[in-house]
Amino acid sequence: MRRIDLPLDKVVEEIGKFYQFDKHHFIVMNAVDLGDSIELQWFFADYAAPGEVTMFAARSDASQLIPSITSVVPSAWVAEAELVDLMGINIENAKKGFVLEEDFEGAPLRKK
Amino acid sequence: MATYYDIPVGAQHISLLEPLHFKLTTENEKIVDVEANVGYVHRGIEKACTTKFKFRQVSFVIGRICGLCSISHTTAYSQVAEKLLNLEIPLRAKYLRILALELDRIHSHMLCLSHVAENSGFEALFMRTMKDREISMELLEALCGNRVQYDYSIVGGVARDLRPEVAQMILTQLKELRSKVDDLIDIFQSNWSLSLKNKGIGAISREDAMRLNAVGPLARAAGVPVDVRNDTEDLLPWKQVGFEIVLENGGDVHARNMVRLKEILVSMKIIENVIQGLPEGPVVAETKALPEGEAVVRLEAPRGELFHYAKGNKTQFLERLKVKAPTFSNIPAFVEMFKGNEYASAPAIIASYDPCLSCTAR
Repeated sequence: MRRIDLPLDKVVEEIGKFYQFDKHHFIVMNAVDLGDSIELQWFFADYAAPGEVTMFAARSDASQLIPSITSVVPSAWVAEAELVDLMGINIENAKKGFVLEEDFEGAPLRKK
Repeated sequence: MATYYDIPVGAQHISLLEPLHFKLTTENEKIVDVEANVGYVHRGIEKACTTKFKFRQVSFVIGRICGLCSISHTTAYSQVAEKLLNLEIPLRAKYLRILALELDRIHSHMLCLSHVAENSGFEALFMRTMKDREISMELLEALCGNRVQYDYSIVGGVARDLRPEVAQMILTQLKELRSKVDDLIDIFQSNWSLSLKNKGIGAISREDAMRLNAVGPLARAAGVPVDVRNDTEDLLPWKQVGFEIVLENGGDVHARNMVRLKEILVSMKIIENVIQGLPEGPVVAETKALPEGEAVVRLEAPRGELFHYAKGNKTQFLERLKVKAPTFSNIPAFVEMFKGNEYASAPAIIASYDPCLSCTAR
Protein backbone atom coordinates (compact mmCIF):
# COMPACT_ATOMS: atom_id res chain seq x y z
CA MET A 1 0.00 0.00 0.00
CA ARG A 2 1.32 3.41 -1.00
CA ARG A 3 0.68 6.06 1.66
CA ILE A 4 0.57 9.78 0.87
CA ASP A 5 0.32 12.11 3.88
CA LEU A 6 -1.21 15.53 3.25
CA PRO A 7 -2.34 18.57 5.21
CA LEU A 8 -6.14 18.60 5.41
CA ASP A 9 -6.52 21.74 3.32
CA LYS A 10 -4.63 20.13 0.40
CA VAL A 11 -6.66 16.91 0.26
CA VAL A 12 -9.22 17.91 -2.38
CA GLU A 13 -6.59 19.54 -4.57
CA GLU A 14 -4.17 16.60 -4.41
CA ILE A 15 -6.83 13.93 -4.89
CA GLY A 16 -8.19 16.01 -7.77
CA LYS A 17 -4.77 15.96 -9.45
CA PHE A 18 -4.39 12.21 -8.85
CA TYR A 19 -7.85 10.81 -9.57
CA GLN A 20 -9.06 10.00 -13.07
CA PHE A 21 -12.28 8.00 -13.10
CA ASP A 22 -11.23 5.81 -16.03
CA LYS A 23 -7.86 4.99 -14.45
CA HIS A 24 -8.56 4.83 -10.73
CA HIS A 25 -11.16 3.15 -8.62
CA PHE A 26 -12.21 4.91 -5.41
CA ILE A 27 -12.48 2.21 -2.75
CA VAL A 28 -13.65 4.01 0.38
CA MET A 29 -12.97 6.74 2.92
CA ASN A 30 -12.01 5.72 6.44
CA ALA A 31 -11.20 7.42 9.74
CA VAL A 32 -9.18 6.27 12.73
CA ASP A 33 -9.48 7.85 16.17
CA LEU A 34 -5.89 8.43 17.32
CA GLY A 35 -6.94 9.91 20.66
CA ASP A 36 -5.62 13.44 20.23
CA SER A 37 -6.73 13.70 16.60
CA ILE A 38 -8.53 11.79 13.86
CA GLU A 39 -6.72 10.36 10.88
CA LEU A 40 -8.75 10.52 7.68
CA GLN A 41 -7.93 8.09 4.90
CA TRP A 42 -9.00 7.88 1.26
CA PHE A 43 -8.23 4.62 -0.59
CA PHE A 44 -7.86 4.17 -4.34
CA ALA A 45 -7.01 1.23 -6.59
CA ASP A 46 -5.47 1.51 -10.04
CA TYR A 47 -7.13 -0.32 -12.96
CA ALA A 48 -3.76 -0.62 -14.72
CA ALA A 49 -1.72 -1.71 -11.70
CA PRO A 50 -3.28 -4.82 -10.17
CA GLY A 51 -2.80 -5.07 -6.44
CA GLU A 52 -1.72 -1.48 -5.94
CA VAL A 53 -3.66 0.53 -3.35
CA THR A 54 -2.95 4.22 -2.73
CA MET A 55 -3.98 5.79 0.57
CA PHE A 56 -4.17 9.55 1.05
CA ALA A 57 -4.05 10.42 4.74
CA ALA A 58 -4.65 13.66 6.64
CA ARG A 59 -5.17 14.56 10.28
CA SER A 60 -8.02 16.57 11.69
CA ASP A 61 -9.44 17.79 14.98
CA ALA A 62 -12.80 16.30 15.88
CA SER A 63 -14.54 19.66 15.55
CA GLN A 64 -12.90 20.75 12.29
CA LEU A 65 -14.94 21.00 9.08
CA ILE A 66 -13.51 18.40 6.72
CA PRO A 67 -13.59 19.18 3.01
CA SER A 68 -15.67 16.83 0.87
CA ILE A 69 -14.01 15.14 -2.13
CA THR A 70 -17.34 14.72 -3.96
CA SER A 71 -16.37 17.53 -6.34
CA VAL A 72 -13.68 15.22 -7.76
CA VAL A 73 -15.07 11.77 -6.77
CA PRO A 74 -18.89 12.07 -6.94
CA SER A 75 -19.57 8.62 -5.49
CA ALA A 76 -17.69 9.45 -2.27
CA TRP A 77 -20.88 10.87 -0.68
CA VAL A 78 -21.81 7.42 0.65
CA ALA A 79 -18.54 6.93 2.53
CA GLU A 80 -18.59 10.51 3.81
CA ALA A 81 -22.15 10.16 5.12
CA GLU A 82 -21.28 6.94 6.93
CA LEU A 83 -18.30 8.54 8.70
CA VAL A 84 -20.36 11.53 9.80
CA ASP A 85 -22.63 9.09 11.66
CA LEU A 86 -20.10 6.62 13.01
CA MET A 87 -17.09 8.83 13.71
CA GLY A 88 -19.01 11.99 14.62
CA ILE A 89 -17.00 14.24 12.33
CA ASN A 90 -18.20 17.17 10.26
CA ILE A 91 -17.79 16.76 6.53
CA GLU A 92 -18.80 19.51 4.15
CA ASN A 93 -22.34 18.92 2.76
CA ALA A 94 -22.68 15.49 4.43
CA LYS A 95 -25.76 14.99 6.62
CA LYS A 96 -26.33 12.77 9.63
CA GLY A 97 -28.79 9.90 9.44
CA PHE A 98 -27.46 7.71 6.63
CA VAL A 99 -26.43 4.71 8.75
CA LEU A 100 -27.83 5.70 12.15
CA GLU A 101 -30.93 7.63 13.16
CA GLU A 102 -30.74 11.37 12.51
CA ASP A 103 -31.21 12.11 16.22
CA PHE A 104 -28.67 9.53 17.40
CA GLU A 105 -26.35 11.16 19.90
CA GLY A 106 -22.70 10.24 20.07
CA ALA A 107 -20.25 8.63 17.69
CA PRO A 108 -19.87 4.86 18.08
CA LEU A 109 -16.39 4.58 16.63
CA ARG A 110 -14.83 7.33 18.72
CA LYS A 111 -12.79 6.22 21.70
CA LYS A 112 -14.16 8.85 24.09
CA MET B 1 -47.78 19.66 -17.15
CA ALA B 2 -46.02 16.70 -15.58
CA THR B 3 -47.30 15.27 -12.31
CA TYR B 4 -44.72 14.01 -9.84
CA TYR B 5 -45.32 11.35 -7.22
CA ASP B 6 -43.05 10.21 -4.40
CA ILE B 7 -43.44 6.45 -3.99
CA PRO B 8 -41.85 4.77 -0.97
CA VAL B 9 -40.35 1.32 -1.52
CA GLY B 10 -39.33 -0.40 1.72
CA ALA B 11 -37.97 -0.60 4.31
CA GLN B 12 -40.28 -3.65 4.22
CA HIS B 13 -41.55 -4.44 0.77
CA ILE B 14 -42.58 -7.53 -1.17
CA SER B 15 -39.72 -7.07 -3.67
CA LEU B 16 -37.03 -6.43 -1.06
CA LEU B 17 -35.21 -9.13 0.83
CA GLU B 18 -33.39 -6.58 2.91
CA PRO B 19 -34.38 -3.59 5.06
CA LEU B 20 -33.70 -0.86 2.55
CA HIS B 21 -35.81 2.19 1.81
CA PHE B 22 -36.11 4.04 -1.49
CA LYS B 23 -38.08 7.13 -2.23
CA LEU B 24 -38.78 6.94 -5.94
CA THR B 25 -39.91 10.19 -7.51
CA THR B 26 -41.91 9.44 -10.63
CA GLU B 27 -43.18 11.57 -13.45
CA ASN B 28 -46.36 9.61 -14.07
CA GLU B 29 -44.89 6.08 -14.40
CA LYS B 30 -41.28 7.07 -15.14
CA ILE B 31 -38.74 7.19 -12.31
CA VAL B 32 -36.93 10.53 -12.39
CA ASP B 33 -35.21 10.66 -9.01
CA VAL B 34 -34.26 8.30 -6.20
CA GLU B 35 -33.26 8.64 -2.58
CA ALA B 36 -31.82 5.63 -0.74
CA ASN B 37 -31.76 5.01 2.99
CA VAL B 38 -29.74 2.07 4.27
CA GLY B 39 -29.70 2.81 8.00
CA TYR B 40 -31.89 0.11 9.50
CA VAL B 41 -29.56 -2.67 10.60
CA HIS B 42 -26.40 -1.11 11.99
CA ARG B 43 -25.12 -3.53 14.64
CA GLY B 44 -21.84 -1.92 15.67
CA ILE B 45 -19.76 -4.89 14.57
CA GLU B 46 -16.63 -2.84 13.83
CA LYS B 47 -16.78 -1.36 17.31
CA ALA B 48 -17.29 -4.77 18.90
CA CYS B 49 -14.32 -6.16 16.97
CA THR B 50 -11.98 -3.62 18.56
CA THR B 51 -13.38 -3.58 22.08
CA LYS B 52 -15.04 -6.91 22.93
CA PHE B 53 -13.12 -9.55 21.02
CA LYS B 54 -9.46 -10.48 20.71
CA PHE B 55 -8.09 -10.40 17.18
CA ARG B 56 -8.23 -14.20 16.73
CA GLN B 57 -11.88 -14.24 17.81
CA VAL B 58 -12.74 -11.48 15.38
CA SER B 59 -12.81 -13.82 12.36
CA PHE B 60 -15.78 -15.60 13.99
CA VAL B 61 -17.55 -12.31 14.71
CA ILE B 62 -16.88 -10.89 11.29
CA GLY B 63 -18.47 -13.97 9.70
CA ARG B 64 -21.72 -12.94 11.40
CA ILE B 65 -21.83 -9.72 9.37
CA CYS B 66 -23.68 -11.65 6.69
CA GLY B 67 -25.09 -15.11 6.13
CA LEU B 68 -24.49 -15.00 2.39
CA CYS B 69 -20.95 -13.60 2.26
CA SER B 70 -19.72 -15.15 5.49
CA ILE B 71 -16.81 -16.91 3.77
CA SER B 72 -15.75 -13.69 2.02
CA HIS B 73 -15.72 -11.70 5.26
CA THR B 74 -13.84 -14.31 7.28
CA THR B 75 -11.32 -14.80 4.49
CA ALA B 76 -10.71 -11.07 4.01
CA TYR B 77 -10.34 -10.54 7.75
CA SER B 78 -8.01 -13.53 8.09
CA GLN B 79 -5.88 -12.17 5.26
CA VAL B 80 -5.63 -8.69 6.76
CA ALA B 81 -4.78 -10.14 10.19
CA GLU B 82 -2.11 -12.36 8.60
CA LYS B 83 -0.58 -9.25 7.01
CA LEU B 84 -0.40 -7.59 10.44
CA LEU B 85 1.18 -10.75 11.86
CA ASN B 86 3.51 -11.10 8.86
CA LEU B 87 2.28 -14.68 8.59
CA GLU B 88 2.48 -16.76 5.39
CA ILE B 89 -0.17 -19.46 5.25
CA PRO B 90 0.29 -22.92 3.65
CA LEU B 91 -0.48 -23.27 -0.06
CA ARG B 92 -3.06 -25.98 0.66
CA ALA B 93 -4.96 -23.52 2.87
CA LYS B 94 -4.93 -20.96 0.03
CA TYR B 95 -6.40 -23.51 -2.37
CA LEU B 96 -9.07 -24.48 0.15
CA ARG B 97 -9.99 -20.83 0.70
CA ILE B 98 -10.52 -20.50 -3.06
CA LEU B 99 -12.67 -23.63 -3.05
CA ALA B 100 -14.92 -22.23 -0.31
CA LEU B 101 -15.07 -18.76 -1.89
CA GLU B 102 -16.15 -20.15 -5.26
CA LEU B 103 -18.81 -22.43 -3.78
CA ASP B 104 -20.07 -19.38 -1.92
CA ARG B 105 -20.13 -17.39 -5.15
CA ILE B 106 -22.20 -20.10 -6.87
CA HIS B 107 -24.88 -20.20 -4.19
CA SER B 108 -24.99 -16.40 -3.89
CA HIS B 109 -25.30 -15.85 -7.65
CA MET B 110 -28.03 -18.47 -7.89
CA LEU B 111 -29.93 -16.82 -5.05
CA CYS B 112 -29.75 -13.50 -6.88
CA LEU B 113 -30.82 -15.04 -10.19
CA SER B 114 -33.78 -16.72 -8.56
CA HIS B 115 -34.94 -13.42 -7.09
CA VAL B 116 -34.55 -11.63 -10.39
CA ALA B 117 -36.82 -14.30 -11.89
CA GLU B 118 -39.30 -13.90 -9.02
CA ASN B 119 -39.32 -10.10 -9.22
CA SER B 120 -39.76 -10.36 -12.99
CA GLY B 121 -42.92 -12.38 -12.44
CA PHE B 122 -41.43 -15.78 -13.37
CA GLU B 123 -42.28 -17.77 -10.24
CA ALA B 124 -41.50 -21.19 -11.75
CA LEU B 125 -37.97 -20.11 -12.67
CA PHE B 126 -37.50 -18.75 -9.16
CA MET B 127 -38.36 -22.13 -7.66
CA ARG B 128 -36.29 -24.04 -10.18
CA THR B 129 -33.18 -21.90 -9.59
CA MET B 130 -33.56 -22.18 -5.82
CA LYS B 131 -33.89 -25.96 -6.14
CA ASP B 132 -30.75 -26.17 -8.28
CA ARG B 133 -28.92 -23.90 -5.82
CA GLU B 134 -29.47 -26.50 -3.13
CA ILE B 135 -26.59 -28.53 -4.61
CA SER B 136 -24.12 -25.77 -3.78
CA MET B 137 -25.55 -25.46 -0.26
CA GLU B 138 -25.05 -29.18 0.34
CA LEU B 139 -21.47 -28.97 -0.92
CA LEU B 140 -20.74 -26.05 1.39
CA GLU B 141 -22.16 -28.00 4.31
CA ALA B 142 -20.01 -31.01 3.41
CA LEU B 143 -16.88 -28.84 3.17
CA CYS B 144 -17.42 -26.49 6.12
CA GLY B 145 -19.83 -28.35 8.42
CA ASN B 146 -22.51 -25.64 8.28
CA ARG B 147 -25.07 -24.49 5.74
CA VAL B 148 -24.82 -20.79 6.55
CA GLN B 149 -22.26 -19.60 9.10
CA TYR B 150 -19.22 -21.42 7.86
CA ASP B 151 -16.31 -20.10 9.99
CA TYR B 152 -14.08 -21.79 7.44
CA SER B 153 -11.21 -19.31 7.13
CA ILE B 154 -9.38 -18.64 10.36
CA VAL B 155 -6.29 -16.57 11.08
CA GLY B 156 -3.45 -18.74 9.73
CA GLY B 157 -5.41 -20.91 7.29
CA VAL B 158 -8.66 -22.86 7.27
CA ALA B 159 -10.54 -24.65 10.03
CA ARG B 160 -11.03 -28.03 8.28
CA ASP B 161 -9.13 -30.02 5.70
CA LEU B 162 -10.84 -31.43 2.61
CA ARG B 163 -11.59 -35.13 3.02
CA PRO B 164 -11.22 -37.32 -0.12
CA GLU B 165 -14.88 -38.39 -0.06
CA VAL B 166 -16.00 -34.75 0.11
CA ALA B 167 -13.68 -33.89 -2.81
CA GLN B 168 -15.27 -36.70 -4.84
CA MET B 169 -18.76 -35.57 -3.81
CA ILE B 170 -17.99 -32.02 -4.99
CA LEU B 171 -16.71 -33.21 -8.39
CA THR B 172 -19.71 -35.50 -8.94
CA GLN B 173 -22.34 -32.98 -7.91
CA LEU B 174 -20.76 -30.15 -9.88
CA LYS B 175 -21.27 -32.21 -13.05
CA GLU B 176 -24.95 -32.43 -12.20
CA LEU B 177 -25.10 -28.70 -11.44
CA ARG B 178 -23.34 -27.80 -14.70
CA SER B 179 -26.11 -29.29 -16.84
CA LYS B 180 -28.70 -27.46 -14.74
CA VAL B 181 -26.85 -24.14 -15.12
CA ASP B 182 -26.59 -24.71 -18.89
CA ASP B 183 -30.38 -25.03 -18.96
CA LEU B 184 -30.75 -21.87 -16.86
CA ILE B 185 -28.50 -19.96 -19.26
CA ASP B 186 -30.81 -20.98 -22.13
CA ILE B 187 -33.86 -19.75 -20.23
CA PHE B 188 -32.36 -16.48 -18.99
CA GLN B 189 -30.85 -15.84 -22.43
CA SER B 190 -33.86 -16.46 -24.60
CA ASN B 191 -37.14 -16.64 -22.68
CA TRP B 192 -39.42 -14.09 -24.29
CA SER B 193 -41.44 -12.98 -21.24
CA LEU B 194 -38.28 -12.65 -19.12
CA SER B 195 -36.64 -10.56 -21.82
CA LEU B 196 -39.49 -8.02 -21.56
CA LYS B 197 -38.66 -7.47 -17.89
CA ASN B 198 -34.85 -7.71 -18.15
CA LYS B 199 -33.52 -6.56 -21.53
CA GLY B 200 -32.80 -2.84 -21.70
CA ILE B 201 -34.07 -2.41 -18.12
CA GLY B 202 -32.06 -0.76 -15.34
CA ALA B 203 -29.14 -0.08 -17.67
CA ILE B 204 -26.00 1.77 -16.71
CA SER B 205 -23.31 2.77 -19.19
CA ARG B 206 -19.67 1.75 -18.90
CA GLU B 207 -18.68 5.36 -18.33
CA ASP B 208 -21.25 5.89 -15.58
CA ALA B 209 -20.27 2.62 -13.91
CA MET B 210 -16.65 3.77 -13.83
CA ARG B 211 -17.51 7.33 -12.82
CA LEU B 212 -19.61 6.05 -9.92
CA ASN B 213 -17.03 3.41 -8.93
CA ALA B 214 -19.36 0.45 -9.36
CA VAL B 215 -17.99 -2.98 -8.47
CA GLY B 216 -18.79 -6.64 -8.99
CA PRO B 217 -21.26 -8.09 -11.49
CA LEU B 218 -22.97 -4.70 -11.77
CA ALA B 219 -19.76 -3.14 -13.15
CA ARG B 220 -18.72 -6.16 -15.24
CA ALA B 221 -22.17 -6.26 -16.87
CA ALA B 222 -21.44 -2.73 -18.10
CA GLY B 223 -18.07 -3.78 -19.51
CA VAL B 224 -15.85 -2.48 -16.68
CA PRO B 225 -13.00 -4.98 -16.18
CA VAL B 226 -12.99 -4.79 -12.39
CA ASP B 227 -12.61 -8.09 -10.56
CA VAL B 228 -10.36 -8.18 -7.51
CA ARG B 229 -9.39 -11.77 -8.31
CA ASN B 230 -7.32 -10.19 -11.08
CA ASP B 231 -5.48 -8.01 -8.56
CA THR B 232 -4.74 -10.28 -5.61
CA GLU B 233 -2.57 -13.07 -6.94
CA ASP B 234 -0.22 -12.37 -4.03
CA LEU B 235 -2.88 -13.50 -1.55
CA LEU B 236 -4.56 -16.36 -3.40
CA PRO B 237 -3.32 -18.12 -6.57
CA TRP B 238 -6.29 -17.19 -8.74
CA LYS B 239 -4.55 -17.47 -12.09
CA GLN B 240 -3.04 -20.88 -11.24
CA VAL B 241 -6.56 -22.26 -10.75
CA GLY B 242 -7.96 -20.88 -13.99
CA PHE B 243 -9.67 -17.62 -13.06
CA GLU B 244 -10.90 -15.57 -16.00
CA ILE B 245 -12.96 -12.42 -15.93
CA VAL B 246 -16.50 -12.37 -17.34
CA LEU B 247 -17.68 -9.21 -19.07
CA GLU B 248 -20.89 -8.14 -20.80
CA ASN B 249 -21.69 -4.83 -22.46
CA GLY B 250 -25.41 -4.20 -22.05
CA GLY B 251 -25.25 -2.89 -18.49
CA ASP B 252 -28.90 -3.90 -17.96
CA VAL B 253 -30.65 -6.53 -15.82
CA HIS B 254 -30.19 -9.12 -18.57
CA ALA B 255 -26.43 -8.44 -18.78
CA ARG B 256 -26.13 -8.80 -15.01
CA ASN B 257 -27.95 -12.16 -15.21
CA MET B 258 -25.55 -13.31 -17.91
CA VAL B 259 -22.46 -12.23 -15.97
CA ARG B 260 -23.63 -14.16 -12.92
CA LEU B 261 -24.52 -17.28 -14.91
CA LYS B 262 -21.19 -17.31 -16.75
CA GLU B 263 -19.33 -16.67 -13.51
CA ILE B 264 -20.96 -19.77 -12.05
CA LEU B 265 -19.38 -21.77 -14.88
CA VAL B 266 -15.99 -20.14 -14.21
CA SER B 267 -16.36 -20.92 -10.49
CA MET B 268 -17.07 -24.57 -11.30
CA LYS B 269 -13.95 -24.76 -13.44
CA ILE B 270 -11.88 -23.16 -10.66
CA ILE B 271 -13.26 -25.63 -8.09
CA GLU B 272 -12.39 -28.61 -10.30
CA ASN B 273 -8.88 -27.24 -10.82
CA VAL B 274 -8.45 -26.65 -7.09
CA ILE B 275 -9.43 -30.22 -6.24
CA GLN B 276 -7.33 -31.75 -9.00
CA GLY B 277 -4.27 -29.64 -8.19
CA LEU B 278 -4.64 -29.49 -4.40
CA PRO B 279 -1.14 -29.48 -2.89
CA GLU B 280 -0.31 -31.66 0.09
CA GLY B 281 0.60 -30.15 3.43
CA PRO B 282 -0.87 -28.52 6.52
CA VAL B 283 -3.94 -26.28 6.39
CA VAL B 284 -3.00 -23.85 9.12
CA ALA B 285 0.10 -21.91 10.16
CA GLU B 286 0.66 -21.11 13.82
CA THR B 287 2.19 -17.97 15.30
CA LYS B 288 2.28 -16.31 18.68
CA ALA B 289 2.88 -12.87 17.18
CA LEU B 290 0.57 -9.94 17.86
CA PRO B 291 -0.86 -7.67 15.15
CA GLU B 292 1.21 -4.58 14.46
CA GLY B 293 0.98 -1.77 11.91
CA GLU B 294 -1.79 -1.22 9.37
CA ALA B 295 -2.85 -3.27 6.37
CA VAL B 296 -5.58 -3.48 3.76
CA VAL B 297 -7.07 -6.39 1.84
CA ARG B 298 -9.37 -6.44 -1.16
CA LEU B 299 -11.31 -9.59 -1.97
CA GLU B 300 -13.85 -10.34 -4.68
CA ALA B 301 -17.02 -11.31 -2.79
CA PRO B 302 -20.04 -12.49 -4.82
CA ARG B 303 -21.35 -8.90 -5.01
CA GLY B 304 -17.98 -7.33 -5.77
CA GLU B 305 -15.03 -5.77 -4.04
CA LEU B 306 -14.91 -6.36 -0.29
CA PHE B 307 -12.34 -4.22 1.55
CA HIS B 308 -10.92 -4.69 5.03
CA TYR B 309 -8.62 -2.23 6.78
CA ALA B 310 -7.03 -3.17 10.10
CA LYS B 311 -4.66 -1.42 12.44
CA GLY B 312 -2.88 -3.27 15.22
CA ASN B 313 -0.95 -2.00 18.23
CA LYS B 314 0.81 -5.18 19.38
CA THR B 315 -1.97 -6.13 21.77
CA GLN B 316 -4.72 -8.74 21.56
CA PHE B 317 -7.20 -6.04 20.52
CA LEU B 318 -7.16 -4.23 17.20
CA GLU B 319 -6.94 -0.46 17.16
CA ARG B 320 -9.36 -0.16 14.22
CA LEU B 321 -11.16 -2.47 11.83
CA LYS B 322 -12.98 -1.08 8.82
CA VAL B 323 -15.14 -3.18 6.52
CA LYS B 324 -16.39 -1.85 3.20
CA ALA B 325 -18.94 -4.11 1.51
CA PRO B 326 -19.61 -4.20 -2.25
CA THR B 327 -23.25 -3.17 -1.87
CA PHE B 328 -22.02 -0.01 -0.13
CA SER B 329 -19.84 0.89 -3.13
CA ASN B 330 -22.67 0.26 -5.54
CA ILE B 331 -25.23 2.58 -3.91
CA PRO B 332 -24.38 5.61 -6.13
CA ALA B 333 -24.57 3.51 -9.33
CA PHE B 334 -27.73 1.81 -8.13
CA VAL B 335 -29.50 5.13 -7.62
CA GLU B 336 -28.64 6.07 -11.22
CA MET B 337 -29.83 2.71 -12.58
CA PHE B 338 -33.43 3.44 -11.65
CA LYS B 339 -33.69 6.72 -13.48
CA GLY B 340 -35.59 6.70 -16.74
CA ASN B 341 -37.20 3.33 -16.05
CA GLU B 342 -40.87 2.56 -15.47
CA TYR B 343 -41.94 2.12 -11.86
CA ALA B 344 -43.08 -1.42 -12.70
CA SER B 345 -39.47 -2.34 -13.48
CA ALA B 346 -38.21 -1.37 -10.02
CA PRO B 347 -38.52 -4.87 -8.46
CA ALA B 348 -36.40 -6.55 -11.18
CA ILE B 349 -33.81 -3.76 -10.98
CA ILE B 350 -33.58 -4.09 -7.20
CA ALA B 351 -33.12 -7.86 -7.39
CA SER B 352 -30.46 -7.57 -10.10
CA TYR B 353 -28.53 -5.16 -7.87
CA ASP B 354 -28.35 -8.05 -5.36
CA PRO B 355 -28.24 -5.78 -2.30
CA CYS B 356 -26.85 -7.03 0.97
CA LEU B 357 -27.73 -4.65 3.78
CA SER B 358 -26.35 -6.84 6.54
CA CYS B 359 -22.93 -6.23 4.98
CA THR B 360 -23.57 -2.58 4.13
CA ALA B 361 -24.76 -1.38 7.52
CA ARG B 362 -22.86 -3.91 9.68
